[in-house]
Amino acid sequence: MTITFTLNGQPVEVDTAADRRVVDLLREDLGLTGAKEGCGSGDCGACTILVDGESRLSCLMLAAQLEGRTITTIEGVASENLHTIQAAFVEHGAVQCGFCTPGMVLAAMDLLHRNPHPTSHEIRQALSGNLCRCTGYQKIVDAVHAAARSCDLREGK
Amino acid sequence: MKDVVLPASLNELLEILAGDPDATVYAGGTDLLVKMRQGLVDPALLVCIERVAELRGVIDEGDKLWIGPAMTHASLLEHPLIQRHLPLLVSAVEKLASPPIRHMGTIGGNIVTASPAGDTLPPLYLTDAEVEIRSNGSSRTVPIFNFVLGPGVVDLQPGEIISGIRVAKPPAYIVHHFEKVGRRTSQACTVVSLAALMSVSRDGLIERARIAWGGVGPTVVTSKEVDEALQGKPLSIATLASVGPLVEAAVSPIDDVRAGAEYRRAVAAALVLRLVQHGDR
Amino acid sequence: MKQSEQKPDSMLASHGPKDTRLSIGTSAPRADAYAKVTGTERFAADYYGFDLLWAGVKRAGVPHARLKSIDTSHAEQAPGVVCVLTHRHINGANRQGVIRKDQPVLVDNKVRHCGDAVALVVAEDKKSLAQALELITFDLEPLPAVTDPEAALVAGSVLVHEDHPGGNVLLAGDQSTGIGEAAADECDVLVEGCFRTPRQEHAYLETEAGWAQVQEDGKLAIVCSTQTPFRDRAEVAEALGLDLSGVRIIAPYAGGAFGGKDGVTVQTLLGLAALHADGRPVKMWWSREESFLAGTKRHPATMFYRLGAKSDGTLHFISVRLYLDTGPYDHLGGVVLALALEHAGGPYRIPNAVLKGWCVYTNNPIGGAFRGFGVTQVTAAIEQMMDMLAQRLDMDPLELRLKNAVRQGDRNCVGKTLVTSTGIVECLEGLKRHPVWTERDAWKSASGPFKRRGVGIAALMHASGYGPVVPDFANAKVDLTREGTFRVYCGVVDMGQGNAATNAQIVGAILGQEAGRIELVLPDTDLTLPSGSASASRCTYTFGNALAGATRILRARILQRAADLLMVRNTEEVALIPGAVRCLRTGREIPLQRLAEFFGDVERVATDHFRAPVAAEAETLNPDVNLRLHGLPHTLFSYGAHAAWIEVDELTGGIEVKRYVALSDCGTVLNSQIYEQQIQGGIAQGLGLALTEEFLVNEGRITTPDFFTYILPTATDVPEIESIPVEIHEATGPFGLKGVGEIAVNGPLPVVANGVADACGVRIFSAPLTPERVRSAVAARAREETL
Repeated sequence: MTITFTLNGQPVEVDTAADRRVVDLLREDLGLTGAKEGCGSGDCGACTILVDGESRLSCLMLAAQLEGRTITTIEGVASENLHTIQAAFVEHGAVQCGFCTPGMVLAAMDLLHRNPHPTSHEIRQALSGNLCRCTGYQKIVDAVHAAARSCDLREGK
Repeated sequence: MKDVVLPASLNELLEILAGDPDATVYAGGTDLLVKMRQGLVDPALLVCIERVAELRGVIDEGDKLWIGPAMTHASLLEHPLIQRHLPLLVSAVEKLASPPIRHMGTIGGNIVTASPAGDTLPPLYLTDAEVEIRSNGSSRTVPIFNFVLGPGVVDLQPGEIISGIRVAKPPAYIVHHFEKVGRRTSQACTVVSLAALMSVSRDGLIERARIAWGGVGPTVVTSKEVDEALQGKPLSIATLASVGPLVEAAVSPIDDVRAGAEYRRAVAAALVLRLVQHGDR
Repeated sequence: MKQSEQKPDSMLASHGPKDTRLSIGTSAPRADAYAKVTGTERFAADYYGFDLLWAGVKRAGVPHARLKSIDTSHAEQAPGVVCVLTHRHINGANRQGVIRKDQPVLVDNKVRHCGDAVALVVAEDKKSLAQALELITFDLEPLPAVTDPEAALVAGSVLVHEDHPGGNVLLAGDQSTGIGEAAADECDVLVEGCFRTPRQEHAYLETEAGWAQVQEDGKLAIVCSTQTPFRDRAEVAEALGLDLSGVRIIAPYAGGAFGGKDGVTVQTLLGLAALHADGRPVKMWWSREESFLAGTKRHPATMFYRLGAKSDGTLHFISVRLYLDTGPYDHLGGVVLALALEHAGGPYRIPNAVLKGWCVYTNNPIGGAFRGFGVTQVTAAIEQMMDMLAQRLDMDPLELRLKNAVRQGDRNCVGKTLVTSTGIVECLEGLKRHPVWTERDAWKSASGPFKRRGVGIAALMHASGYGPVVPDFANAKVDLTREGTFRVYCGVVDMGQGNAATNAQIVGAILGQEAGRIELVLPDTDLTLPSGSASASRCTYTFGNALAGATRILRARILQRAADLLMVRNTEEVALIPGAVRCLRTGREIPLQRLAEFFGDVERVATDHFRAPVAAEAETLNPDVNLRLHGLPHTLFSYGAHAAWIEVDELTGGIEVKRYVALSDCGTVLNSQIYEQQIQGGIAQGLGLALTEEFLVNEGRITTPDFFTYILPTATDVPEIESIPVEIHEATGPFGLKGVGEIAVNGPLPVVANGVADACGVRIFSAPLTPERVRSAVAARAREETL
């Protein structure tokens, strides 16, 4: 099956089995190993990608569903410089082993698009689908706060 | 290798289902793909309904709301009609699973999966939900309590699909209460849940109460005896505690890896006490 | 789409802002964060490559059985299958283990747990692999499963290892001090308790993963997610019958480990597969369910305690009987027991101790290393016993701890004189002054409807290193490259704890260089030097000491060469500045790249070795040579004091941790961000053990096999954590540092249990404190009170 979609801003055409898991398509066929598989059952969020701007779990998506969609993986987040959220993660110590990090960054992007000024509780709820075993979440929450403030500053608030 | 098709219209969908009795429908895939991974099902043809526009939307029908079964949980939470008219459903769905699952999973999927712990179900029971069912050439409507037959079992024949959910806008209840008890505070499988609609008079009497429990029976539990025992009584701890034995008699929980039956039974009764917090209104 | 070419490279890790100044005590962002946050850092699980094969394991599925035969014939014929391997294909010893080599690579005679590996399939793709695995059958003669550790000790019990002289006892320990049991009668007050802690799943986000290929020169190269590359090399060589020099292990950043990758996981299986793959690369990546089934767990413990004191609160006597269920294989189980016994009395002076423990073989899942390593279990017991004693004595629980807390020069409960920095008193005093303690009564009295509030505390200690026999050593290598940069050859794996970044920081600080001039080479048995495991809270202490030494050697050499070139009298007249050496008097500078040209190749590299100090009195303190081998006693300890505000919901039994404060004595802080990361992460993992994580096994079979049934804390389950370092300079540590990796995980369970007891008046002796356990304990007490 031929599937056409937009991936990290570029049009892409792949020839693949319709039932290939998107996480496998990304990692094995397209060499984009940023999305990780931590459980394969939708419980950990390590495979998070953005589909038409919304966070979804690529381990529970099939290739056929990509048709016509706009997909963002972690590899498409930074441009010449780190995205504000990525920079905040680095600065605030939100990265330890790093395996949950791509999913966390994308979940945070989804949050800040919907809610540019989240409270700590709202941040934690928004990230509740992304498990982290290293950080205890606190510095990730701090980083998202900082990123939200950064966006404010850039917008002159 | 499995075939995966994404029909663009309801007619196309119904034709596919009529043509292949083994066709398995999914929307978000958050339940089906997990079952496939566990080896519990192995469908040859998967039909993804996420692009069928007729299965989405929320329509104001006056005293009722029509909800498209392929509405994701997130889209329901954001929908002004749901926010205005079904705060109980909002309260339940915002606690369901996790944000990415809510972006994928749908209300129709939650109904058809028919888990005893399904979070959309208690509010749907309390709003007298009816399930519209279509196949290629027929349609019928079934009240939710007849549609959900048991854990994982619903009244859907081969070739049939839920085409709509119709709920009654609750009359002016003051209290739309939902509490979910799980083993953690997010992304939790419900151990016990309680949904309640109550109207309370100015002098603190329960004019009408409707309560439903999840996780304490093969399907959602409601109890006429409990609802009637509360009616006309003051909204107080004493009243709420007095129906405890009725609650415990109404529920039929099981032991599982998350909790025991005795705990579930006791908590089902205990959660009723929390309704007293609405007495300050 | 073409697959990206991937082969093991020299693991030069990239990092972000090039001009970050590195110095000790500042909180520079970690060097590895940049690549991780852009998804470009490659973990072992991210290795693919051209012509890739997939390897997978057929596991036993029964807890105990004699293996009569294996039928691989159908699997061998299946489409896409390259080969199906069993123990017959192994030329070496087919035995793995750190202390006792009792675990087969592939089962040859007996199945000893459901996750035992019986056959290995190598196939062209994952689907073919899965299908082939289904086609393998074996003929098993089921044996009764040994599932209860106390029953396993009874004479006549079924044996897990018939050839083991100790029967079902992997290791037993018996340590007495003072007058032993006779001291019980001298106590004015004696409290007793039996505590149970469960198995815990590491649940690292990156499951066990690796990639292997026989290279063109015949060397077997294995990339894997591991804590122990050099030990892995030795294990692979011995198990498969290869020369040590014929094996190369490469250890990228691991996606979490926490002890679960301390020891062989995929390495020998991958090696075996690669040897039969005709030069093609082979990948193995355990599914989450397989990780649950086959990976190691925290040892569940049953602990019988008696603690006695004088009426003024002076501790006088402790008796401990400790049972650890170690599953079927050694996997460091004896070392866990030894550390548990050593810590069984907590950070207190107790002159008379009777400490007994048994590490018992069963057919349950394998018990192995898990952050905390036995100390987590006994801390849960002793810290609850202290609260129980305080209650009996009608003493403030913090005052009771302060009264008995050890200071430098005291002996701990195994009689070890504390000769290194000992900051438990400072931690407890800090806690005493903190609002979490001073404002507790006001907070408790303000609880809302259906809520009960309590405050719990715990005093912690945690040894680092391997004990008196196994050398805790590291070898560091730094070189000045021709480009004038510094390449740091990291000896110890970074599994998220940030030691690679700390290495860069140490080197940058000593050499006065910015982050952009420091390159990190991650552990690789061909490139870096043997430096022991990433475990035992010794990573930065031991390797950091070696690295500081090597860096100072290189620094001296650089300054000497510069002094010669700049024609000054001595090296005090020149200084290293970012990118150059400057003559202080004249201001003339030589860029490092230019200076490097004047170095011979041999001079460019500096190495150094460090070996951690050990307890001088080990033999007299512990005459049991086997127990000494397993680590008792240690000589360097970190300390801590934790407190939390706990709120219990009367209706559901649910516990909410409203506030958590941790004071830690882990020496000086090299990087406060990395230090806090360890404390916060350890506490979160400890809260999982305390509240939500219950790993269930029934007759040897796991009933919580995945993340749906095994409940990990999410972002809404972990509170804000306040971490306060109590900085006491440790003379033997690099820049005064001690281990910080493990200690924090030991706090939450006793803190929560003590808080619940304070809130509800009931003590729950089994963990986790699930809502069901709490509710039923509270209800039982309420019933007792009405009787």
